[in-house]
Amino acid sequence: MALLLPILLPLLGFALLGLFGKRMREPLPGVMASGLVLASFLVGVGLLLSGGARFEAAWLPGIPFSLLLDPLSGLMLLIVTGVGFLIHVYAIGYMGGDPGYGRFFAYFNLFIAMMLALVLADSYPVMFIGWEGVGLASFLLIGFWYKNPQYADSARKAFIVNRIGDLGFMLGMAILWALYGTLSISGLREALEGPLRNPSLLALAGLLLFLGAIGKSAQVPLMVWLPDAMAGPTPVSALIHAATMVTAGVYLVARSSFLYSALPDVSYAIAVIGLLTAFYGALSAFGQTDIKRIVAYSTISQLGYMFLAAGVGAYWVALFHVLTHAFFKALLFLASGSVIHALGGEQDVRRMGGLWKHLPRTRWHALIGALALGGLPFLSGFFSKDAILAATLAYPFGGVGFYLGGLLVAVLTALYAMRWFVLVFLGEERGHHHPHEAPPVMLWPNHLLALGAVLSGYLALPHPLPNLLEPFLKPALAEVEAHPLAPGAEWGLVALSAAVALFGLYLGYTFFQRKAFPAWYPAFEAWSREGFYVDRVYNALVVNPLKALSEALLYGDQGLLRGYFGLGGLVRGAGGALARLQVGYLRVYALLFVLGVLLVLGVMRW
Amino acid sequence: MSFLLASALLFALGVYGVLTRRTAILVFLSIELMLNAANLALVGFARAHGLEGQVAALTVIAIAAAEVAVGLGLIVAIFRHRESTAVDDLSELRG
Repeated sequence: MALLLPILLPLLGFALLGLFGKRMREPLPGVMASGLVLASFLVGVGLLLSGGARFEAAWLPGIPFSLLLDPLSGLMLLIVTGVGFLIHVYAIGYMGGDPGYGRFFAYFNLFIAMMLALVLADSYPVMFIGWEGVGLASFLLIGFWYKNPQYADSARKAFIVNRIGDLGFMLGMAILWALYGTLSISGLREALEGPLRNPSLLALAGLLLFLGAIGKSAQVPLMVWLPDAMAGPTPVSALIHAATMVTAGVYLVARSSFLYSALPDVSYAIAVIGLLTAFYGALSAFGQTDIKRIVAYSTISQLGYMFLAAGVGAYWVALFHVLTHAFFKALLFLASGSVIHALGGEQDVRRMGGLWKHLPRTRWHALIGALALGGLPFLSGFFSKDAILAATLAYPFGGVGFYLGGLLVAVLTALYAMRWFVLVFLGEERGHHHPHEAPPVMLWPNHLLALGAVLSGYLALPHPLPNLLEPFLKPALAEVEAHPLAPGAEWGLVALSAAVALFGLYLGYTFFQRKAFPAWYPAFEAWSREGFYVDRVYNALVVNPLKALSEALLYGDQGLLRGYFGLGGLVRGAGGALARLQVGYLRVYALLFVLGVLLVLGVMRW
Repeated sequence: MSFLLASALLFALGVYGVLTRRTAILVFLSIELMLNAANLALVGFARAHGLEGQVAALTVIAIAAAEVAVGLGLIVAIFRHRESTAVDDLSELRG
C-alpha cells in the first residue's frame, strides 16, 4: 500500500490545485505542489532503503494492477521526484505573476503522478496508463499559453506524433498477450527464460514496443514534435522534455531488457536508430536561433546516445546517461529560463551575448551545464558519454562503427554546446536590455542541479575505480555477457574521448567566438536551422495528403447532410400544406366530409 | 320507389342546410332532416321487404330523442357562454 503513496500524493495535489488553485494566493499553489513532490521523493527514498516494495490489486480480468519498486524503478523514481522537485521550486519563481499559476502547478503535479505510475508499473497496461498520462500532461503544458494559436498547434503536434508511437505500444502489448497470456513484466521475464517460442513474432512485438519508445523519446523518424514542444514555459521544457518524460522510452527498453537482450536484431535496430538520432539532433542544433530550441535538439541527440547504449545491450549505461543527462539538461534549460527571465522574454540568441558580466550566478550554471553536455573531463556528462562509447565496443550488440559514430557525435556535441554558451554569454551585447539576475528561488534549484551535473558522474567510474551504479541496477536488468576491455584499452579510450571533448570544446569556443567560419558553413547552417527540412517532407508526404483526404471526406459529409436537409424540408413542406386544410370552419369540415362520403360511395359503386 | 326519391330529396336538403347555415340551431335542424330522411328510407324498404326496417326506424327515433337532448343542451351551453351560436366563430380548437 505504501507504494501507492508516491503516486497518490502528487495526484492529490493535482486534484486540490485543479479544484481550488484559482482561489489560492500566489506562492501557495507552487509551495504545495513542490511540497507534495518532495514528500513523494522522501517516501520513495524510505521505501528504497527498506529494500524495495511491491503492490498488487485486482483490476482487469487477468491483468492485476501491479506496481514494483526495484533498483531500476527506484533510480527513475529518485530522478523524477528529485529533479522534479527542484524544477517545481524553480517554477515558483519563474511562473510568478502568470494568470494560470494554479493551473500550471496542477498540471505539473499530474505529470509527476503519471510519470511515477509509468515508472513503478510492473505490467505493461499499468505502464500504459502512465504513458498516456504523461502524454496528456505534456500536451496540456506545451499548450499552457493556449491563447497563442501557434503554441496550441505545437501541443497538438506533440500529441498526434506521440499517438503513432502509442499505437505501436498497444500492438506490442497485444502480441505479448497473445504469445504468453500475461502482461506482467515480472511474469514475462520468467516466461522468456529458456528457448523462445516464436522468435519472429516476439521480434515484431519488441519492434512495436520500441516504436512507442521512438514516439515518446523523439527518436528518428518521430522526432519532429520535441523542438516545437519548447512552446511551453521553460520549467516544462526542463522537466518533461529533457529530464524525465522523454527518457521514458529509454526506461521502457531497459524495463524490457529481458526481451531485447534475447532479440539481437531488434537491439541492433535500436542502436542504429539511436546513432542516427544522435547525429540528427547534433547537426540540427547548429542552426537554431532560439535559445531553447538549441537545447531541445541537444536533448534529441542525447536521447539518441541513450538508445545507442540500450541497443548495444548496456542497459545500465543508458540509465547512467539518463541520470547525468537529467541533471545537466535540466540545468541548461533552467539556466536558459533564467536568461529569458533576465531579458524580459527574449529567446533569440542573435539578440543576446555579453551576459557574462550581468548574470554572476546563472553564468556559472550555464557554463557547468554546457561543459557537462560537451563532455569536459571530470564532469558528469564526460563519464556517462565515455561509458556509452566504451559500451559500444564491450557489449555484444555493439561494434567499431557505433564507436566511431558516437565519437563523431561527441565532437559535434562539444561544438554546439560551446556555440550555445558563446552566443548567449560571450561576445558583445546585441540586445537593448537591462538584464537582472534571477531571484533566489530560481537560483537555488540551479545550484543543486549544478552540483548534480558535476558529481553524478562519479557514481560509475571506469573499470578499476569504484562503480556503484552497475551492481545497484544489476538485479533489475537482463544479464548481457559483456567482454570487458583490457584496463589499458579502456583508459586509452577514456583519454581519447577526453581529448576529443577538449578538442571539440576548444574548437567550438574559437570557432564561434571569432566567427571564423569555413565557406560551406552558412549553407549548412541554413539547412540545420530548418532541421534538415524534415518537417516539410512530412508535410508534403503525410500531413497534406491526410488533410486533403479529410477535407474531401468533410465535403462528402456536407453533401450527404445537405441531402438529408432537403429530405427533411420536403416532409416539412408536405406537412405544412396538409395542415392548411385545418381552417377552423365547421362548414369546411362538413363539406370535406360530404365529399369524402361521395368519393367512397363512388369508389364502391365503381 | 317514390319513398326512396322523397328520402333522397330530404337528405340532400339536409346536406345543403348543414353546408350553408351558420346558426348552430339550423345546422342541427338540417342534421335532423338527414336523420329522418334515413328513417323514411328504412320505412320505405320495410314496405317492400318486411317489418325489420320499421323496427330499425323506431329504434333510430328513440335514440334520436336522446341525441336531440344532448345536442340542444350543448347548443344552449355554447350560447350561454358566448352569446352566439354562429358555427364559424367556434374555431378555438384549430391548431
